[in-house]
Amino acid sequence: MADARIRLVSAALLSVAAFVSLQGALAAGIWWLIFTGRQKSLRNQRVIGMMILLIAIVSALIFLSGKDGLSYFVRMCVIILIGAWLYAGQQHGDFLRTGVWCLGKKTGFTLGLIAEMGMLVAEGLSEDFTRIRIAQSLKGLRWGPDMILPTGIVLIHSALARAQDTTELLAVRGYRDGGSMCPHFAPTRSDLVAGTGAICVLFFAIVSVSEFFIL
Amino acid sequence: MKLVLDSLVVKREGWSLSVNGTFLPGVHLVSGDVGSGKSTLAQIIAGFQKPAHGTVSREGISKVMLSMQHPEYHITGLTVEKECASWGLNAPDILASAMLSGKEEESPFTLSRGELKRLHLACVLERATDLLLLDEPFSSLDCAEKERVCTRINQKHYGITIIFTHEQTTFPRVDHIWEICQGCLVDCGDMPGALERWQHAPARIQDLIRAHNGPRNLTTRDILEAAWQTHESG
Repeated sequence: MADARIRLVSAALLSVAAFVSLQGALAAGIWWLIFTGRQKSLRNQRVIGMMILLIAIVSALIFLSGKDGLSYFVRMCVIILIGAWLYAGQQHGDFLRTGVWCLGKKTGFTLGLIAEMGMLVAEGLSEDFTRIRIAQSLKGLRWGPDMILPTGIVLIHSALARAQDTTELLAVRGYRDGGSMCPHFAPTRSDLVAGTGAICVLFFAIVSVSEFFIL
Repeated sequence: MKLVLDSLVVKREGWSLSVNGTFLPGVHLVSGDVGSGKSTLAQIIAGFQKPAHGTVSREGISKVMLSMQHPEYHITGLTVEKECASWGLNAPDILASAMLSGKEEESPFTLSRGELKRLHLACVLERATDLLLLDEPFSSLDCAEKERVCTRINQKHYGITIIFTHEQTTFPRVDHIWEICQGCLVDCGDMPGALERWQHAPARIQDLIRAHNGPRNLTTRDILEAAWQTHESG
């Protein structure tokens, strides 16, 4: 999807749709099958697999407690697929352009900049995790529950250090808030079709099925 | 014991690195600009990344150690003492050698970057290895500490040590120099002849070579001796 605005709004609508009802999640799943590159839209399939495994465990616990674990599992999986598609398609500057287009050069620019920095942290976390695993294997340490705490501390420490570097750089350059930018977007016909589809999915999710069909 | 890099090719978007070379026991220096692929090459040699083409053969090498540029990644202990223990080392000895005695119960993250690097290098250099890969070992260290690390590297009398660095001031005594130029690993040869072919040589070494008084090696003492001879002959 070429237009970052449509991509962001579609992801937001589909996530809400998947969250509010099982029928919305199924519809959002179908949207994902039709309008994304499916497997190609998942940049880091191993991480996504781990997240789905984690959700499966939580869903099993919900199911065992007598509640609808299956519905939770389906809804969360679809939200993850939509999030992974959004992340994979995101280009540097997309949040900034969309923020300025949506909320102007002051608030929009600042919010866009914060979102861009968040994306950089997300990208950095993946690289940090790879390096931490290398370091652990050099020490002959196997991945297990006792490794979660030190790994988490290193990841948080690295993310905070990187954020501090960035904020210091912005401060040194005299940044206060807002900024100048002329966002340009080139929506394609398929973007518009997919965006309209996302609106329909949300509508389908929040309106009862009986409103559509005579049951 | 030898490390053979046979027709290695590493490719990324808009960047590639071609490598051929045989590393024998001794201290090897791999220099190159920032972003030339030194860290990537170190990870490939250590077996943590796969090249697009080519093979890495480690003959007679069983114990491999890679020291990454940022020491934070290596931390697995929640206190300095536990961090030493995680390397299988005796904490009091290591902390004494890193001049960090008395900080046993502190979190490694409360140490400054320089202190953490000292601790990390003290642990890495204490371990017995056949192949030791040091990625930018001198970053975050002051001049005195760089000299101490160089001395410690030269005290290792076994195995292959490869230093990947763009350092320009302080070096240990090295046996062989390599450099990454225009996407290729270039073999400059054994010391001291390698200095003549080393394009990334620090300016002061290049000046000494131009004055026909190239140093015998890269240690501060070697360079000072060569500078003194140049001064005397001038």
